[in-house]
Amino acid sequence: MNLFGEINCLGLCLKTSEIASLVALLITISIALLAAGFIIKNPKYRLSTFVSAQLSVLLAIFATFYLMKCEEMLTIYLYLGYAGISFVMIFGIIRFYDRLLIKRLNAKPAGSIMKWTQEFVDRMTSATVYYYDSAVPRAFAAGRSIFVSLGLLELLNDDELKAVLAHEAWHIRNNSRTPYLKQLALMTFSSPKGSEIEYLADSFAARIAGSEALSSARRKVDKVFI
Amino acid sequence: MVKLDQINISKDGLTKFFSPIEAEILRVLWSEGEMMTSELTEKTNIPLTSIAGTLDRLVKAGYANRRVDTVNGRVRYIYAPTSSEEEVASEITTKILDSLVDTFGPLALENFSKYSDKK
Repeated sequence: MNLFGEINCLGLCLKTSEIASLVALLITISIALLAAGFIIKNPKYRLSTFVSAQLSVLLAIFATFYLMKCEEMLTIYLYLGYAGISFVMIFGIIRFYDRLLIKRLNAKPAGSIMKWTQEFVDRMTSATVYYYDSAVPRAFAAGRSIFVSLGLLELLNDDELKAVLAHEAWHIRNNSRTPYLKQLALMTFSSPKGSEIEYLADSFAARIAGSEALSSARRKVDKVFI
Repeated sequence: MVKLDQINISKDGLTKFFSPIEAEILRVLWSEGEMMTSELTEKTNIPLTSIAGTLDRLVKAGYANRRVDTVNGRVRYIYAPTSSEEEVASEITTKILDSLVDTFGPLALENFSKYSDKK
């Protein structure tokens, strides 16, 4: 098992294998999809072309491993180890992350000080709204919990707060899918598409609370709810 | 925040010991007593985005404290200074005198007595 030998072997295998053209095709498709992702304006389609590009990169990676037909390969062990560790990190941490945050921020259920916030979120998804002690206005979602700082509750009026909560509720509703996006991005060595996801969450928030309230919340606390 | 390594005697007034925003907040709190966040931003003329983090720091360091007030279904912080201006002044003085005696020993003490005689 040595790395340079494997790289040499890869060149040789690519020349002789029948499925080399398949790998080339997959890589061309990925590049075309990536390019398409830059041209497409609609964030939903952008996201799906990006995901398809990543899937095709993943297929190309596995096809390459297959065509090399080696018994023991350092690179494939390294790659599988990397994929395995990232899988445990992403899926393992996400399950416990909100429990951890509640402890660390000493967060308390927001329903206890502003009852309607929890009732409002209950209508959209099953998640608990927590507040924590900080004057810095901030909101974020993790696991099945929405966190808002007391500074945010203090600063925003009810409509603006609804927009923020709806934005976070969208994240919770789609949270089960985001870890897969992250995992895929890690396995293809690309970065997950955050801005498209935020855009989708914002358009949901605008539908629920009105675009007026959303943009006024954004103006007040720009970039502090994600 | 009053840590000896951050004291800068070339600056003016309280900013020798605190950052300009911290000093401004403390000045307002000492003169007005209890205040809401909105009153603090108004009196200090510092936008909330800059004041919020500083308020968190002042509370954490123990110079200010805050309680949560609920009124008409709204929540808000009410801030108050933890100790008076005199108490903070004596805390800072003690810290500095301690460090002088630590460094110069009897020499520092000799100078203190000369200084108080002069005054």
